[in-house]
Amino acid sequence: MTMTAVSAPAAAGAPPRRPSPLASGLLGAGKFLAPFAAVVALWWAIKAGFDLPDRILVSPYQVLVTFWNLLSRGVLADYAATSLYQIGVAVVVSAVVGIPLGFAIGSNAYVARALGLFLRFFQGVSGISWLPLAIIWFGFTDTTVQVIVVYTLVVPVIFNTMLGVRAIPPSYALALRSLGAGTFRVVKDVYLPGALPSIVVGLRLGMGYGWRALIAAEMLIRQGGLGDLIFGARTFGQIDRIICGMIAIGVLYVVVDRLIVQPIENLTVARWGVLRK
Amino acid sequence: MDATSPDKIIVEGFQHFFETADGPVQATGLIDLKIPAAEFVTLVGPSGCGKTTLLKAIAGFITPTRGRIVCDGKTVTGPGRDRGVVFQELAILPWRTVRRNIGHGLEIAGVPKAERERTVARLVALTGLKGFEDRYPHELSGGMRQRVAVARTWAADPDIILMDEPFAAVDAMTRLTLQEELASLTFSTRKTVFFITHSVDEAVFLADRVLVMSKRPGRIKASIEVPRRKAGGRDWESFTTDPEMQAICEQVLRLVRDERMDGAARPGETPDPLKEAS
Amino acid sequence: MSDAKPVRTDTLTWKLLPALPFVALIAGWSIYWLIARPPVGTLPPAWAVTEALWQLAADGELLQNTLASLGRLLLGTTVGVVTGVVGGFLVGLNRRAADFLNPLVVFFNAISGIVWLPLMIGWLGIGTALVVFLIWNTVFFLVFQNTVLGVRLVPPVLEQSVETLGGSRLHIILNVTLPGALPYILSGIRSGLGFGWRALIAAELVGATVGLGQMIFRAAEFHRADIIIAGCLVIGLLGVLMDRYLLAPIEKHTIERWGLVTPSRGI
Repeated sequence: MTMTAVSAPAAAGAPPRRPSPLASGLLGAGKFLAPFAAVVALWWAIKAGFDLPDRILVSPYQVLVTFWNLLSRGVLADYAATSLYQIGVAVVVSAVVGIPLGFAIGSNAYVARALGLFLRFFQGVSGISWLPLAIIWFGFTDTTVQVIVVYTLVVPVIFNTMLGVRAIPPSYALALRSLGAGTFRVVKDVYLPGALPSIVVGLRLGMGYGWRALIAAEMLIRQGGLGDLIFGARTFGQIDRIICGMIAIGVLYVVVDRLIVQPIENLTVARWGVLRK
Repeated sequence: MDATSPDKIIVEGFQHFFETADGPVQATGLIDLKIPAAEFVTLVGPSGCGKTTLLKAIAGFITPTRGRIVCDGKTVTGPGRDRGVVFQELAILPWRTVRRNIGHGLEIAGVPKAERERTVARLVALTGLKGFEDRYPHELSGGMRQRVAVARTWAADPDIILMDEPFAAVDAMTRLTLQEELASLTFSTRKTVFFITHSVDEAVFLADRVLVMSKRPGRIKASIEVPRRKAGGRDWESFTTDPEMQAICEQVLRLVRDERMDGAARPGETPDPLKEAS
Repeated sequence: MSDAKPVRTDTLTWKLLPALPFVALIAGWSIYWLIARPPVGTLPPAWAVTEALWQLAADGELLQNTLASLGRLLLGTTVGVVTGVVGGFLVGLNRRAADFLNPLVVFFNAISGIVWLPLMIGWLGIGTALVVFLIWNTVFFLVFQNTVLGVRLVPPVLEQSVETLGGSRLHIILNVTLPGALPYILSGIRSGLGFGWRALIAAELVGATVGLGQMIFRAAEFHRADIIIAGCLVIGLLGVLMDRYLLAPIEKHTIERWGLVTPSRGI
């Protein structure tokens, strides 16, 4: 049920038992790591139980060794830096292009009418579908990757900026105008802060989509980046390198999303008291 | 406790605590209560005094920390179809039409369709929902939705009906009508009703007996008999002009007000009921 | 600004406005082509794309590749939806399972889809099995996470009210929790289908011998930009059509009919 009853008389009126911060921290870490330990144990059991050769599946230990090698020789950092740089640039470009465009669509019915169908159409053709054409135009270069990632990232930014602008009650702007505020002030004091939480959401979503498109594009373009790392490793049947790369991709995404983007989102949402469901 | 006891609901040595992050919090004081069959009992008390907790325990949604609840001679261990509940929030299913919502309990019980339809038709007529049988809840007004909820509970034909501020979210005019309808419905069907409300007028208007609860952790501090529940129920015109009824209302109001005064008099008290008890 | 005066929607300008960017794009493209005369392999004229489309349709290549892609999408999405909904219910109804699995879900969601390609090529080889796996892996997490959320957000009072009518656990799950969670499940399926379609194209670029993704990737080798653009048009169109004629009707007959997603919900 929705409520848990205290188990009978003994607990009634008993002082609250609260574990020390250290103990609860360890407990939390344990709870977080236990499922991964289970997966690693299963992996090991499969490897040993079916006696699989290394070109099919390597042991977790082997992956650990390779991971350390890649890390200590700076290889992993090299590939990861390329990917992070690419996604960083794409975020900046998409913000610069997408936010003003989103504002225009959100605040002007004519712009919305003109661009709505156009954007929806191009959203239907995913970024990665344009990869072959981008290869013809820009060759196997970073530019090709960049184009694909920006294309993927910019749409959620535009869309969420638009939603954010539209969600602002018109009375806010009217109230300010009745105080004698000009357009610039209304944008600065009402629309920008009002739409900000939604813009951050758009950037976060876009980063998620863009990151995946980036990995896919890197696999095919082979000019560095984590996608290149894992796809290159496949050519030589280096399963350990592939798994290391996958772990790096997952961890980097979670770290960037949870430790950088989500706090910003929480901050803006909490500060403006905008309720989201 | 044997099944021949005249009391339909017996609450014995009931006391309840909730587990929170800061340890257990006392939700109710010690409560003993007996409700005879076919009696309409209303319960008033300040917010957070544990009214809903008591109702949920009788319904079987929560297991009492101490004491026990006996309905029809059987100790309550969980929800059952002998005890119907009408909730404060909209609790009818949005994806069922009025007809299928009202017949839901019968459907669960495996009642054949033809018989089910007859019962539904009778309750639809009784609750004034004729012509709306095939509407979905979102197409109805708040008052009509609550009528569906009441009809659904009655259709399942439980002996005991528990109602938790069922008319709180309904507009004032509709509420008066619903109260009159409920009064006559319960009278004609001889249900045992346990009804929670904030409103003193509502409590006195509907009840054979009004219980007043003290502030958190609540106990039953007074039990006031309300005479003259006439056949065919009551109506608000005669109720508001009846000096005897008005005297009872004043008495209950005073008891409830005392609780609030006490609460407000304590310095430094926060309105948050959870903080209050810790 | 949105506080501006209402626009007139009955004018010709307003009606033709959505065509403007398309016309501008095609006009700009044509003018550039006529002036700069880029090699056809790099940028074909707009009319050449129509020709390529016609050619692909006529010799059956388009149909063959489309059917291959749609078949994989259907298989991968179906498996993804079934596993996602069942898994979502198991986890949504069980706190303990949810607490245990949550870290794994966060991590594997971060590497869902195309990231598995290099590893899975080794295990499944190039072909349908590989593509279906990647679609499943993409769809599963979207449906799963939405289902868990939907199950959790069903108001407990609905479940309790049916419990008091004597409904069993299974009856409540099927009659209350499932329809209650349906808005979230459907939105999960909707984005699942969209992202599954994207994953499919990405996977087919290198992970298949036939399919729309493979068709445009091979065209790049032969410098056939006309085929690529024609293929992209078909891919985009199919994505929009599936959303409009497959999923929108389901929503119309369920959650919209029940008033779960209309803005005028009120109390």
